[in-house]
Amino acid sequence: MKAYLGIDLGSVSTNFFVMGQDEEVLVNIYLRTQGNPIKAVRTGLARTQDELPPGVTIAGVGTTGSGRQLAGIIVGADTIKNEITAHGVAATSLVPTVRTVLEIGGQDSKIIILRDGIVTDFAMNTVCAAGTGSFLDRQAERLGLPIDQFGQLAVRSSNPVRIAGRCAVFAESDMIHKQQLGHPMEDITRGLCQALVRNYLNNVAKGKAIEPPILFQGGVAANAGMKVAFEEALGIEVLVPKYFAVMGALGAAQLAQRQVSNGAETRFRGFEVSNWDFHVSSRHCHGCSNCCEIVEIEAGEKSLACWGDRCGRWSEQNPAQIA
Amino acid sequence: MVTLVRIGIPRALLYYHYFPLWETFWRNLGVEIEVSPPTNKQILDLGVEAAVPEACLPVKVYYGHILTLAQKVDYLFVPRLISSQKGTYICPKFMGLPDMLKHCGYNIPAIIAPTLNARHGKKAWERSHLQAAEELGFNRRLTQFAWQQAQRELASYHKELQAGRTPVDILYQRQPPKPTSRHTLLLLGHPYNIFDEFVSMNLINRLYHRGYQVVTPEMLPPKLVEKEAARLPKHLFWSLGRLLVGTANYYLQEKSIAGIVHVVSFGCGPDSLVGELLERRAKKLAHVPFLLLTLDEHTGEGGLITRLEAFLDMIEWRHVS
Repeated sequence: MKAYLGIDLGSVSTNFFVMGQDEEVLVNIYLRTQGNPIKAVRTGLARTQDELPPGVTIAGVGTTGSGRQLAGIIVGADTIKNEITAHGVAATSLVPTVRTVLEIGGQDSKIIILRDGIVTDFAMNTVCAAGTGSFLDRQAERLGLPIDQFGQLAVRSSNPVRIAGRCAVFAESDMIHKQQLGHPMEDITRGLCQALVRNYLNNVAKGKAIEPPILFQGGVAANAGMKVAFEEALGIEVLVPKYFAVMGALGAAQLAQRQVSNGAETRFRGFEVSNWDFHVSSRHCHGCSNCCEIVEIEAGEKSLACWGDRCGRWSEQNPAQIA
Repeated sequence: MVTLVRIGIPRALLYYHYFPLWETFWRNLGVEIEVSPPTNKQILDLGVEAAVPEACLPVKVYYGHILTLAQKVDYLFVPRLISSQKGTYICPKFMGLPDMLKHCGYNIPAIIAPTLNARHGKKAWERSHLQAAEELGFNRRLTQFAWQQAQRELASYHKELQAGRTPVDILYQRQPPKPTSRHTLLLLGHPYNIFDEFVSMNLINRLYHRGYQVVTPEMLPPKLVEKEAARLPKHLFWSLGRLLVGTANYYLQEKSIAGIVHVVSFGCGPDSLVGELLERRAKKLAHVPFLLLTLDEHTGEGGLITRLEAFLDMIEWRHVS
């Protein structure tokens, strides 16, 4: 049986999703990137191979996320797509009538507006990453809470405290202040969820027509406190899809299927890639005064690709799929 | 007898609007002109170090160009741009630029700063150029001749722009690749952002590379831009803001564009208002997709590329279905 692999290499998590020809879910893996994207891809590939039912062959591969180029080069991707498109595709495949996607990932947050299955508008957080997964992670750690209990605790609160959500630094000092006053933990966590939602709606979603059905996806959707805070603020039900944490990978798998639908042979290098010895090096190019930082990825002795140059001196020699 | 002088012109800020005027004027006087190289990392680093931290990226880049020229020339040409048209103003940072540079604490050559201020009458821009040249020892007949030549050159530059070429196509004698897409994109932004390939992270070439035809505000006749900008319920007094709003209004009514990309510098006061205005009009008038790209000092291209790719996917998919 033919199947399609999607990989979402993000700043916090690296996700793998394999779906069959008829969109049946075969593999669904969520891993922490932990600052080592190559290792995350290799580990994920090895686990995907283990979990794949016998007789399944990978007929197409798509990558997305901030590390999509790197992942695409390592595995040999048929399509390398930005995460907005991937999330939009994934959302419409699960809920064809979806009109709004709220997505909060490890280091960025986005809103995608869809009408009749087409992305009509989107926005991403600008310079500020307050309110994304890595900030919640940090706060949970500081409070000594496992992140998966953070949301449960927040939902139990009936008297949330007001926390400034405009900036992560202010939010943290506000939280500490409230803790010192003796407010219970659940009220503080609930207050933080509300602050993050306020910040998201005022910055990322500013001026966007948020209409139901609304899907809430990305790693932060695991946090029940955030879902409830969104529903409170919007006054509309917010749906968290079953595969909320791996929606980018799901979208990438679908894009891969589309890409090879004309019968093209996949560029997938095979699962043995997980045993290859990848090596990444960086150097400054001294070809001109821009002194670009060039990243080169090699498998064994063989150079696979370069990027980071402005002029194309190095990257023009890359294989064609990496644009 | 005038001794041979070298004047440095920074390739920054309104270089993209006025360079043919300035170059022709000084060359006709027999002055040697040194233009700073296209912005690069070194220029940016110099500028970031020298400028006050609150300055926007384009002003910091300007400082970098000034310092790059400083050792090579006798004078620096830093016009004081206040108002190009009655009732409109250029950003206050442009007005104070010659003073800010004089007091930047670096050892730089003397500054020549003719003033553009429409409040002082139509001839004021000419007068202050002639005066600046006469202070260097050139006589009135020569300076008048040089000014006429310069005006002629600027007029032919405008004609070329209005024929659909970008400032960089003309100034660097380039030809954009033939479009392969049937869609045209409107690239809005201040010229020093959209035409500086380092600052804009090569944005315009990325759009060309994807096959799009690109139009920019410089390509419309100023009278038309004025007429379109006047459609706003209130008078907008930022010159460059009027240019953006007028251009957007025109193309949104024409319905000939598939999307608008608006490039702004982080911390730009006028654009924080104009950008919002543009986005609302794009939605209201024609439902044209609108992408806001904010540029600042960090060199990571990832964020820009992700947004741009998603935006272009969106445009393509809208038209497929």
